[in-house]
Amino acid sequence: MFTTNPFAVLTDFLSPLAMQIYVVLMALAVVAGTLFDMVHKGSAKFFAQHRDESEARAQRRLGGGEKVSLAIATIAEAAVSGEFCKWPRRLSHLLTMYGFLLYVITTVVMIFAYPARDSAPPILPMLWTVGALMILAGGLWFFFFLRVNVSHDGASPFHLGQADLFIGSLLASAAFALIWDFMQTTYGHSIPTWIVFGAYIFFTTLLFVSVPWSKFAHMFFKPAVAFQRKLEEANGSSDLPGPAAENYIVRS
Amino acid sequence: MTRRTKFVDSDILIVGGGFGGCGAAYESRYWGRDLKIVLIEKANVERSGAVAHGLSAINCYMGMQWGENQPEDFVRYARGDLMGLVREDLVYDIARHVDSTVHKFEEWGLPIMKNPNGRYMREGKWQIMIHGESYKPIVAEAARKSATEVYNRVMVTHLLTDKTRPNRIAGAVGFNVRNGDFYVFRAKVVIVGAGGGSHIYRPRAVGEGMGRTWYAPWSTASAYGLIIPTGAIMTQMENKIVLTRFKDGYGPVGAWFLLLKSQATNAAGEHYEKDRYPEIKARVGHYVDIVPMPTCLRNHAMLEEIKAGKGPIYMHTQKVLDTKEKEEIGWEDFLDMTVGQAVVWASQNIEPKEKPSELITSEPYIMGSHATCSGAWASGPEDCAPAEYQWGYNRMTTVEGLFGAGDTIGGSAHKFSAGSFTEGRIAGKAAVRYILDRKNESPQVDDDYVESLKQAVFKPLETYRVGRNEFVAGTVSPNFITPLQGLQRLEKIMDEYVGGYSMFYVTSENLLNRGLELLRMLQEDFEHVGAENLHQLQRAWELQHRILTGEAVAQHTLYRKETRWPGYYYRGDYPKLDDSQWHCFTGSQYNTKTREWKMSKLPVHRLIEGFELLQA
Amino acid sequence: MPTYTDMTRCDGCGDCVDICPSDIMHIDPVYRRSYNIEPNFCWECYSCVKACEQHAIDVRGYADFAPLGHKVRVLREAKKGSISWKIRYRDGRIKEFTFPIRTTPWGSIKAAQEYENPDLRALGSPLLAHEPEALHVAALPTIKKA
Repeated sequence: MFTTNPFAVLTDFLSPLAMQIYVVLMALAVVAGTLFDMVHKGSAKFFAQHRDESEARAQRRLGGGEKVSLAIATIAEAAVSGEFCKWPRRLSHLLTMYGFLLYVITTVVMIFAYPARDSAPPILPMLWTVGALMILAGGLWFFFFLRVNVSHDGASPFHLGQADLFIGSLLASAAFALIWDFMQTTYGHSIPTWIVFGAYIFFTTLLFVSVPWSKFAHMFFKPAVAFQRKLEEANGSSDLPGPAAENYIVRS
Repeated sequence: MTRRTKFVDSDILIVGGGFGGCGAAYESRYWGRDLKIVLIEKANVERSGAVAHGLSAINCYMGMQWGENQPEDFVRYARGDLMGLVREDLVYDIARHVDSTVHKFEEWGLPIMKNPNGRYMREGKWQIMIHGESYKPIVAEAARKSATEVYNRVMVTHLLTDKTRPNRIAGAVGFNVRNGDFYVFRAKVVIVGAGGGSHIYRPRAVGEGMGRTWYAPWSTASAYGLIIPTGAIMTQMENKIVLTRFKDGYGPVGAWFLLLKSQATNAAGEHYEKDRYPEIKARVGHYVDIVPMPTCLRNHAMLEEIKAGKGPIYMHTQKVLDTKEKEEIGWEDFLDMTVGQAVVWASQNIEPKEKPSELITSEPYIMGSHATCSGAWASGPEDCAPAEYQWGYNRMTTVEGLFGAGDTIGGSAHKFSAGSFTEGRIAGKAAVRYILDRKNESPQVDDDYVESLKQAVFKPLETYRVGRNEFVAGTVSPNFITPLQGLQRLEKIMDEYVGGYSMFYVTSENLLNRGLELLRMLQEDFEHVGAENLHQLQRAWELQHRILTGEAVAQHTLYRKETRWPGYYYRGDYPKLDDSQWHCFTGSQYNTKTREWKMSKLPVHRLIEGFELLQA
Repeated sequence: MPTYTDMTRCDGCGDCVDICPSDIMHIDPVYRRSYNIEPNFCWECYSCVKACEQHAIDVRGYADFAPLGHKVRVLREAKKGSISWKIRYRDGRIKEFTFPIRTTPWGSIKAAQEYENPDLRALGSPLLAHEPEALHVAALPTIKKA
């Protein structure tokens, strides 16, 4: 645990190729799911229509350089989870988001680059563990305290609904990943270890395969729309009023 | 499922965090520094009540500092508008205090429009223009800082009287709309600042547009629904208000008529009020000559015009928006308080500089803070009210320790926002004196009764849960009705039998009796209201408050055998104004056990001379 | 005009659920974002629209009587004490306005208890707090009883 690549240990029973194929399949599932969402639900068509309507209302043309800098600003804002207006939500999202990135990237690197036992530098499994812990810290905080139906709408913290498909499967994947790593380290390839490994694979698969029904794809849609909004503000087609020129609060 | 019960004890319990309740919170804290003052609101005090959007004018300001008006003048104006029937002591009391309320509002940060000479810009004789989008948040800030505790999202469903003295208030019960906790409030004094009644009558729009009633849809007549069961005397419940406003959006007309001097005509461009004069005089005699013409009579003229096929009636905005400043005033008038009218213009391509807009009379409402004065019969100011109008504590109802402000109090017309806050202040101060006069008194609630109320309050949830087992899906059950189904039945009954818009506001004894039969069956059906969740449970209790109010309205309308306010409603069987029999207030007392209404006449006393009755 | 929430702007913060005077802004079970559960009890008071920092909520006029194609959008800047409106007609015409909403800083109101304790002997008089000074006249008017 912590310093040993758990996937390399798994090669006693599963070939690295099998694991690599699984990773590629999950990546394809996300792509396919997102495309399915966009095409079948028509969200791509909606977005294109909206973009055309706002371009027709544009009061000035934006240069290529301007668009690039707005795109960078959008990415920068997403990188610091700036779209969240309340700090607990923002903080928990940062934890969960960067935890997820760490967890996924180290998984892919360990499976593709270091399949042989003891070949991975200890930093990789350490970061993998940290990533999973960050997901749990941010995600559990969010799940029990910050979900808006719980914090504002009277739902029980244990309430589960379709909206929780993404966060639920993500939390389960990370939790079972850590438990499996611990069990594999402590009890080797025993039945209980296999059971936990099964749960880990089940929830991880669910996470990536449920994209058409979960909020996973919104991680792509939201920045796209945020970029579109920035364009509209810049080219004058936004239907929101601009900031007021005057300050009316005169007395101290 | 066991429900949590929370007990909250206080000296002063204020039910409703609108302008009346906020005024009560502020003033009772000023006088009662050590008292525990609890404010309860079913929504969020920040934007709750009828002033949620904001307002573009304060309609009750004397301007005594500039010699613009005196309180006596206001009494004359209000009583004229109400065809003689106002509690002159209560109106005088509001008028003499309201200026200090408005000056505090300005100090707190409400932007009031001013003339170059520094005086408040007048919309009309009694009204001043404000930039009032944040009127409610500003006032809420003052109340929040002054109250000991503010409970948002707790709906009060019932008031409680003392265990051994049925005519002494002891508190209230309610529930948390978010988590379903049951609340038992025990208090020495209760001040009801809850809402008047929208959605008592079928509104003109019945789809989504049902939401665009003139008065807030969350003014659910709780002021009356809470007080009626205590046996307090209610007055003027027949004095329903009908408003002439911009069609569909129900945008305000005050600034257009008074400030911008816009005029209304029929479709042919004729000023019809003059033509209707003889007919109105035949109904109400010299009352037609009251200046300004009473609101109800202006409505009446317009209705006659519409019935004669000469509509639509138009407000000629295009004739008065000749400057950019006037255009801004015209738009701000809507954007500050009725954004929906701006949406109507934008959606129907109505440019007010080019096209006139239609006016219409609304469906009826029941309220005490506007141009009509339905509500609880209350004690008046000790220094000027006649003996019959006071029993010790200003704005106390006929139930000991139960006070009211705003829509709650009857006979006290033309208060509007600043007047309702002022009335809250008056009640707040009186409540403090009431408590300090009775230092050793501590009313007790009946625990068994409270337990039975707990069952009753949540029963609609259980009704739904069990009844739902009968059918596959949807909203049709043979055993229960949803709150919306109950509301739409109430609105239809009131509309068709108690003088709603579809009947051109006409009713009669036969119609009223039939309406009361149907209302009784609806009240019985309330035992079978099914609420799917806590939001629907709130809707269910709002319905109960409305049903009780509807019944009161029907009883009072039946009792007054006269048409006092043509244009608000008509008794087809008694079409004329009858000062010989009916220059009085109507009063009622409801008995919850027998479900009977005891009706009475209450006297009209003149404090300001100069009102002539109509000789037969 | 009932409100609706933009799918991709709402970040699920709950401010609209908190503020709605009608208790009709709630959380959708599929997206965990806000939506208007009862448009027929929406007064279009714009409280939720103004409260949403993401500008995720907008209003579409009641279908009973408001044709499509209009926009009435608002930017409330509490710190500046201002509110700005941008109105787009169905025929494309645009109108923009800005109005004041407050002249003093938020939170600056002096609470009732911050004033000097009143003389409780005045409880029996008709004078309310800060009177007669706040009336800007010398004395509270009264009527001498006959």
